[in-house]
Amino acid sequence: MRWLGALAVLVLLALPAVLGSYATTILILVFFYGFLGQAWNIVGGYAGQLSVGHAAFVGIGGYTAAMLSLEWGITPWIGMFVGGALAAVLGAVIGYLGFRFGLRGFYFVLLTVAFAEICRIAVSNVDAVGGALGLYITFTGDPRQFQFQDGRVYYYIALALMLAATGVVALLERRRFGIYLAAIREDESAAEALGVDTFKYKMLAMVVSSFLTGLGGTFYAFYLFSLQPNAMFGIPLSVEIILRPIVGGAGTLLGPILGSFMLTPLGELSRLYFGQGGHHGLHLVAYGVLLIAVVLFLPQGAYPYLRRFFVGSRP
Amino acid sequence: MLLLQGALSGVLFGGVYSLMAVGLTLIFGVMRVVNFAHGDMMVWGMYLAFLLATGAGVDPYLAFVVCAAALFVLGFAVQRALVDRILAAPHEMQILLMLGVALVLENLALVAFGPEPTRVRSPLSEATIWLGPVFVDVARLVAFGVASALTLALYLFLFRTDLGRTMRAAADNTYGALVIGTDVRRVYAVAFGVGAACVGAAGALVAPILPFQPPTGLSLSVTSFNIVIIGGMGSLLGAFVGGLLVSVAESLGAVFLKPSLKELFSFSLLILILLVRPAGLFGRRAS
Amino acid sequence: MAKTRLSRRAFLRSTAAGAAVLGFPLPLRAQPKTFKIGAIHPVTGPLAEPGQACRLGAQMAADAINAAGGIKSKGGLKLELLLGDTQTKPENGRVEAERAVGQGAQMLLGSFDSGSTNSMVSVAQQKRVPLLVDIAAADPITANVAKSVKEGQQKVQYVYRNFPTGSSFGRNAVQYFTEIFKEASVSPKRVVLMHANDLFGTNQMRGFKAAWEAAKPSWEIVEIIPWPEPPSDLSTEVSRAKALKPDVLAPITRPASAQLLLPEIRKQRVELMGIVGPGSPGLYEAGQFAVLKEDLEYVMTSVPWPSFKNPRTLAVAEEYAKRTERETGRRRTFDTNSGYSYDAMFLIADILERAATLGDPDAIVEAMRKTRFAGGLMQYGGPILFNEIGDNPNAIATMIQILGQKPVAVWPKAAALQKFVFPRPKA
Repeated sequence: MRWLGALAVLVLLALPAVLGSYATTILILVFFYGFLGQAWNIVGGYAGQLSVGHAAFVGIGGYTAAMLSLEWGITPWIGMFVGGALAAVLGAVIGYLGFRFGLRGFYFVLLTVAFAEICRIAVSNVDAVGGALGLYITFTGDPRQFQFQDGRVYYYIALALMLAATGVVALLERRRFGIYLAAIREDESAAEALGVDTFKYKMLAMVVSSFLTGLGGTFYAFYLFSLQPNAMFGIPLSVEIILRPIVGGAGTLLGPILGSFMLTPLGELSRLYFGQGGHHGLHLVAYGVLLIAVVLFLPQGAYPYLRRFFVGSRP
Repeated sequence: MLLLQGALSGVLFGGVYSLMAVGLTLIFGVMRVVNFAHGDMMVWGMYLAFLLATGAGVDPYLAFVVCAAALFVLGFAVQRALVDRILAAPHEMQILLMLGVALVLENLALVAFGPEPTRVRSPLSEATIWLGPVFVDVARLVAFGVASALTLALYLFLFRTDLGRTMRAAADNTYGALVIGTDVRRVYAVAFGVGAACVGAAGALVAPILPFQPPTGLSLSVTSFNIVIIGGMGSLLGAFVGGLLVSVAESLGAVFLKPSLKELFSFSLLILILLVRPAGLFGRRAS
Repeated sequence: MAKTRLSRRAFLRSTAAGAAVLGFPLPLRAQPKTFKIGAIHPVTGPLAEPGQACRLGAQMAADAINAAGGIKSKGGLKLELLLGDTQTKPENGRVEAERAVGQGAQMLLGSFDSGSTNSMVSVAQQKRVPLLVDIAAADPITANVAKSVKEGQQKVQYVYRNFPTGSSFGRNAVQYFTEIFKEASVSPKRVVLMHANDLFGTNQMRGFKAAWEAAKPSWEIVEIIPWPEPPSDLSTEVSRAKALKPDVLAPITRPASAQLLLPEIRKQRVELMGIVGPGSPGLYEAGQFAVLKEDLEYVMTSVPWPSFKNPRTLAVAEEYAKRTERETGRRRTFDTNSGYSYDAMFLIADILERAATLGDPDAIVEAMRKTRFAGGLMQYGGPILFNEIGDNPNAIATMIQILGQKPVAVWPKAAALQKFVFPRPKA
């Protein structure tokens, strides 16, 4: 397995040399959503606390880096981490309220949605951060401003983000932390009875997850060159973030990556084939059917099946 | 005066919100499944009312019966074909499934009806009553009345009919219901169907008030979730009162603040309720 | 070519393109050579309505150009559109632009929504593919590129826009308001501005407010009331506006919010000289008349509008209505969005005619900068040309009014087809 992983990374490193710009762009999105999915996976998958408000962290991270860059000329390479830290603070606040007050399942879902929406509405109404018009980043192609004339640099950054997040998760998974999170997901009361400080570990998971997601916000903003409240904080982005890890297999190390490699290209292909005709919207119908099919035929996500297929009966 | 008018408009529009939320709370109460396709089902109810109004000249205030019946069939089918298979699956899979259904419904509407927003006109929906300096919008008054009647009717159904009692029993204790020989699958399908029928009726009744287009479903879903949590998941009375509360909060928000901030009130109210009384105002228990 | 079904050719083409970008060699070169343009708009999602209008406008124009013999100075070269859908998400502006470029697009067109347009800008500048913005009003889209060229961070500006910016919209509107009040010999004092708090609404509001502050006219903006877009209810907002006793209500709506706002104004019996929008969609589209009917009568709005004095415009508008009816079952109006996308395609054809060579993007840019094009169907203040920022200063708005359930150009005088009715008659 390890050799297979190393080989895959090598292939990914070499790919831009032979790929066209469109395929490179698709892979950038695969990595980026794989990264966000992996970040979400820590709290949503391993700890089983379903957040549908992760867009808030992307938004906070992106807006922080963009404001620092536009107002004070601070490079986004620094702003990125400031944004991640602020996202982690918001994550801690949401986590504290949710976990301290024992909100589980759909109650936690709604709490996170509500926080993300509050952020969206607030940012839409504050002129100092652009209001509903948003912020526009000047294209300079200057690497110090997190901009690159050559699109392949974004590819490597996105790949690095995804691999780094996966490394973090792999590390956490092997430590006691990972075992505790799994215990919390399976049966929280039992975990508590065994003496696991569930509050502490859920909080940790939330903070790490929101910090990483916040880092992603900077990439998103400086890859797309504009920030709008609806795009950065909206429910559609939160939904995008959770789709891939769930499809791939929530709470598994490679699930988010696998899910991203499945969904992003399939979404593109359905748009390519159904998006040209006069029936606008047909490609999204196809995408919806695909999601339903995943639930019906791969009810634990794709990863466990893939693993069985490759590894066979070995443990 | 502005305050009085704002409060009055808020209460009446609350009827619209209550209508939206009743079906959602019913489905959740029985099956513990949160229907993320709720708003999109409602949009289909609206489009059906639109078709009946433009195609056959049927007033939406009559057409809502047809819309309810059509959505009952849709709900029944969705439950049997999809939801039934994943009742035991992890929460995230339920969410994914309903998101998929929502995406399909929204974009089928786009294919079928195009992207323009529309509204259904009814003579009733254009009328107003003036009481001195304040006015009452008849369409909202009707929505308010129907919401009250619907809540009452559902209440009677759940507490006074055999089917309703079975449904509540299955909701409280699935295993127990199985033991005494209830066809739980059928009960669930009927519950989902009745919930969807409420959504369809709500869609038709709201169609003269609220402009709609295919993407409208998302905001309807979110508002309905708010209301249901505030009122208490699974509680009919909660959905009714929650609808009024959210509407009045937003209306007063628009009086005192920049109106573009008014939705902050409903979300803040939601968070407050979640923290102080997570079961909701009229809910029985959390999770 | 009707695009109601996925034709076998389109399928093969996209398969081939998909295979090509994924690195599979396929015999692609057999087709006759065309000039490919990536035409990218939001045809699904919240902005699907204007996005579909843009796409159809561009397609009709490309068909017309090809039918008339293509680009004559380049041996009758035909235009081919590579259609893209942003789904109203900024990231897809970039993805679709990259795809189009990967499939051989030599120019980009788009994209209505300022967010996804700005993400297309980065592709245009990175890949040196000239981008013509057909619609998108946020000022920074072109201004930012001009700035980075001026400061030497970028060599060439590849982004040009033939559409009024938010600030020019505002100047137009303030001027028309003042002129119309004067011409009507009335002096409304109190204007209440109500707007959708979305990207477009905020942009318009800021442009209008800034222009009003600069012009210091005899009328006053007494309050600005924003609502969340899409709103579920506007009754309290209208009550608030009514309490301010306005003479004129200036709304910036979207189609959905217009359907809430106008009936509410009637129901609450707000006494007004008129409803005059400073630049508002939702007040003139065919679908809106079916819903709003008499509520739209006498409503005015300042909006980029086709010049219906031009017989060619009338013919195209009729064809557009027929084509929408055939393809979607509803007759749609040829207006701002379809019109500007239509003009953009003819503008591209004009640029290609004049470009020294099509092999070099900088030659296309060179031809773009020298544009003096008078063949547009929209109402302009002069020929289409690009200033130092890359915007067309002659892209202006027209004041239209709904008279007899039809939108009619009423101001400025040069564009007017009928005399405006202001103040509106009492009901």
